[in-house]
Amino acid sequence: MSSRPRHSAEKRVAVEPLDAAALERLALLDRVARWPVLALVVSGLFWAVIAGGLQVIAAIKLHAPGFLADTAWLTYGRVAPAAANLFVLGFGIPMGLGVAAWLTSRLGSVPLAWRGMMLVGVKAWSLGLLVGVVGILGGRGTGIEGLELPAFALPIMLPGYLLMAAPVLRTFAQREPGEVYVSQWYVLAAVVTFPWFQLAGTLVAVWFPLRGVLPAMAGAWFLHGVFVLWFLALALAVVFYFVPKLVGRPLPSRNVALFGFWMLIIAGPIGGPARFIGGPFPAWLPSLGVVGNVWLLVPLVAVAVNLLLVLRGQRTLVKSSNALGFTVFSLAACLLWFGLNIVNSLGFFRHHTQFTLFTPGLDWLLLWGGFGTAMLGAVYYLVPRLMGAEWMRPAWVRMHLGLVAGAVVVLVGAHLLGGWLHGSALRDPTVPFVDVARRYIPFAATGTLAWLLLLGANLLLTVQIGWLLWTTHGASCVPEVRSWLRPETREVNP
Amino acid sequence: MNHGPLVFLGLLVSVVCSWAAVVMVPQFQVGDQGMVRIEETGQDYPQAPAGLARRGAEVYRANGCQYCHTQQVRDAGEGQDLARGWGARRTVVRDYLRDQPAMIGTVRYGPDLTNHGIREHDRVKLLQRLYNPRWVMPGSPMPRYPYLFELRRVGPDGGSSLNALPLPEGEGPGAGLEVVPTPDAEALVAYLLSLRADPLFFEVFPPPAPKPATNAEPSTLTATNLPPSP
Ligand code: HEC
Repeated sequence: MSSRPRHSAEKRVAVEPLDAAALERLALLDRVARWPVLALVVSGLFWAVIAGGLQVIAAIKLHAPGFLADTAWLTYGRVAPAAANLFVLGFGIPMGLGVAAWLTSRLGSVPLAWRGMMLVGVKAWSLGLLVGVVGILGGRGTGIEGLELPAFALPIMLPGYLLMAAPVLRTFAQREPGEVYVSQWYVLAAVVTFPWFQLAGTLVAVWFPLRGVLPAMAGAWFLHGVFVLWFLALALAVVFYFVPKLVGRPLPSRNVALFGFWMLIIAGPIGGPARFIGGPFPAWLPSLGVVGNVWLLVPLVAVAVNLLLVLRGQRTLVKSSNALGFTVFSLAACLLWFGLNIVNSLGFFRHHTQFTLFTPGLDWLLLWGGFGTAMLGAVYYLVPRLMGAEWMRPAWVRMHLGLVAGAVVVLVGAHLLGGWLHGSALRDPTVPFVDVARRYIPFAATGTLAWLLLLGANLLLTVQIGWLLWTTHGASCVPEVRSWLRPETREVNP
Repeated sequence: MNHGPLVFLGLLVSVVCSWAAVVMVPQFQVGDQGMVRIEETGQDYPQAPAGLARRGAEVYRANGCQYCHTQQVRDAGEGQDLARGWGARRTVVRDYLRDQPAMIGTVRYGPDLTNHGIREHDRVKLLQRLYNPRWVMPGSPMPRYPYLFELRRVGPDGGSSLNALPLPEGEGPGAGLEVVPTPDAEALVAYLLSLRADPLFFEVFPPPAPKPATNAEPSTLTATNLPPSP
């Protein structure tokens, strides 16, 4: 909070048009970060597509009990957790780290450090995840929600994570002196806390399981921690970066942002037990979770005030910029999640929503509405800059935005509304259970449609990135690949 | 906020504190709970499940039944679990001491199964439910588990295996075939039949009815000590 920022990162983020030298510097930074960031983004996208496919299967199974029923590997209770783990750990982690690395390099105005490590790390991470998910599909899941990966997955994944994350921290440490911008705090929070959540959770739930219900609580602690301190924090990092930058106005108050940040950090990780209100735990524990969730009201207001003031009166600009469009959608989803998460911990509301479709709906609101769209917006902004080439068709970017936004609205809308009706039916003991099921099934079926839309959207982005790689590097790769296929032409020389 | 190490430290403290509060403190509070003697039956509770049921819990976990079924009963103030007949009382930490892991679940696409063994005693019906839930509950959206069964050709003399599943009228895989449950299916059914959490002990006794007066009240104390009035 120095009064006279020298190389204020905020300045770079905000208003002044950059001079030629600064632009060149940015271009250099982007070029240096190209392969590691691209590797992480593509890997995240790859897992998102796989997870999307599995999730479609799971969603269909909720309303078509005979669908693919003969294969043990594809039963609902295995596909659903496999898809969830792939969304969180396969899509969320590499994609988030890729964007975080890029943000850190830009905001610190230093080239990304230790780039080779990231390339190795993402492979180890993906390998561990693959092994773990095959384990879940093969029936070796741990049965603890959130921490389903079998015990042997984490020893492969965690070193991979450290290899991916260390360069981000290193780059941050090497930043140019001056004020640290809001987005950098959020990136730091996400990158630093995640491995602790995963390690500490796995330790007591999988490797040396505590007795009875406590592993389940550790799973909830892990899930909630990751949702708040990874998905929400990184979504906010991106939003705080793009909104002031693209609108061209600085943040109204750094102090409010700071306050909101610390409130989120303190209250975020203790909200987990609220998932088990009324459950078999010491009674104070879920109450602690409720306190944590209600406390989120403070960061909600802090974030909303700051960013909505920047956005006031910018409707036309938001409509005309793709990156801003994605980001604003993400901001809206994050704020909605904040709000719903708070009311959902209050008795009058929770009595209608506990154990219903509402629970996954809320998670997906943050995962896809908040985090997913923020990351996609960032990807659309950064990939052409990394590659030095433009997207194939600007209209396709718009189309993707439309698809994702549509999918999220349908998915979340169906689950929240369906969850309410599901809960109301559960609350009426005269309704037999098959009739309860009849109430929620139409909404679950609508969810299938949304997952298909989302899968299509992610495939669209994959095609676009593939095309971009082809136009920029195809020409140099093709002769190379040809020469591999015809080795004899090489060997004629003595 | 311009000092990386400070932010780093703050983050770590927050994670560690939440970890301590949410996992370690409960572990110290209830982690060393043991069995209790139930006065009515003279038995300790909870008992370790019988071998087959224990194996069935593994099948339950491996096939992810807990993604649709909860195993936790809330008090009347929290929901209609008791009114739905899912239990006579709420569940508490002690009920799960023997579960490895405890699969309490978070979503009820299907009914709660905490006390399923009290409601259902019919092994054949449960096997039929696993093969095709619609045989026992028309319109059920629960997935089928045919892979827990084997299809066998009926022997040439028309006799069938001893443990072949009796099929409902007009249903089944077709003439000349019989459905035989695998050991996994039998174990899972044994587990489902074993599910019950109904013994009463001090944590779960219903709150006592308010007494008219207590010893702590000085007025009553003096009143009882007074000699009876003539
Ligand atoms: C996709 C969700 C889903 C999955 C997965 C699922 N079930 Fe069900 N189950 C249901 C629904 C819905 C019902 C209620 C309708 C009915 O009675 O068939 C039900 C009912 C039941 C019942 C009858 C409960 C009662 O009180 O009458 C039993 C027992 C049962 N399931 C066992 C299992 C087992 C064992 C598994 C795992 C192998 C399993 N279920 C997996 C959805 C599911």
